Amino acid sequence: MSKKLRPSEPEIPITPMLDMAFQLLTFFILTYRPAPTEGQFSMNLLPAQPATSMEAPAPTEANAPSDLPAGLRTLPTTLRATADGAIAAITIGDNQVSGLDELSKSLAEILADPTLPFDQALIKVDPRLKYADLIRVVDVFARNKLTKISFAELGADDMGAAP
Amino acid sequence: MSASMPGELKAEPNLTPLLDIVFQLITFFMLVINFSQDEYDVRIKLPVAGSARPIDDADLAAQERLVLNIDSRGKLLFNGKELTLTQAIERIKFEAQLYRLNIKTLRGKKVDPGEDLPTRVVIRGDRDTEFAPIYSLISACQASGFRKFDLKAMTGS
Repeated sequence: MSKKLRPSEPEIPITPMLDMAFQLLTFFILTYRPAPTEGQFSMNLLPAQPATSMEAPAPTEANAPSDLPAGLRTLPTTLRATADGAIAAITIGDNQVSGLDELSKSLAEILADPTLPFDQALIKVDPRLKYADLIRVVDVFARNKLTKISFAELGADDMGAAP
Repeated sequence: MSASMPGELKAEPNLTPLLDIVFQLITFFMLVINFSQDEYDVRIKLPVAGSARPIDDADLAAQERLVLNIDSRGKLLFNGKELTLTQAIERIKFEAQLYRLNIKTLRGKKVDPGEDLPTRVVIRGDRDTEFAPIYSLISACQASGFRKFDLKAMTGS
């Protein structure tokens, strides 16, 4: 193994290759965007129900935990908004709660009660409510392990009844 | 300008290790670049939710997804263009037809217009968007046969 170069051995010019490699490197550095830390709430949303109906979509055979009709197993929740889109009032079942902490507490109590058959929720949302606030409410439901959620838009009649 | 004298020693830097490092860096950036992020519009400021589940890479690769970016005024951003609600609904219908055609062509399975599509709809709504336009788009998706939805949010507190 001789490491000596013979005088006649051709030399490969590395400089153009290095130039090109640096150009490629610059391109990749400039176009690089670190992946955002996005998460998601995955849900199966069946076709829209009328806003006035408390009937939740019929469960499939596989996920039906009891023989009760879907309407009785659905926890109705209503979100009313202020004019600027913030949460004005939250009603869960028949109870009005004052904030997300109280919603979480109330939801935990409802789900822990073995006499109540709720395993899904129908959230009726004020059309003016900001998406960020809706996601905060969905977050509360997800934290309490209630992930079968369907949405409906709060009708004008419901909004008229708002305090 | 000095011409090298015969017999003079010429100092040539050894470029090979430098080239090795540059190629390694290029390889790294090529591997981490994610072209699929192009459908994620950077103008959308996602809401924050602590319990949003991180996206599973296996799911990401296995399932077809229709990404709907909805800006703070409730407009659907499709390929960087703003669409009105009517245009957005037409677009969703068209996409549903495309997915049906794709499934029929690639998997040989026919999905009738009344049947559910296996495609996931990824809703990337801006935190300041009102619920009404988002609900209209979700309803349009449901009417076109989409059933699986992912609501995007930033993880963290």
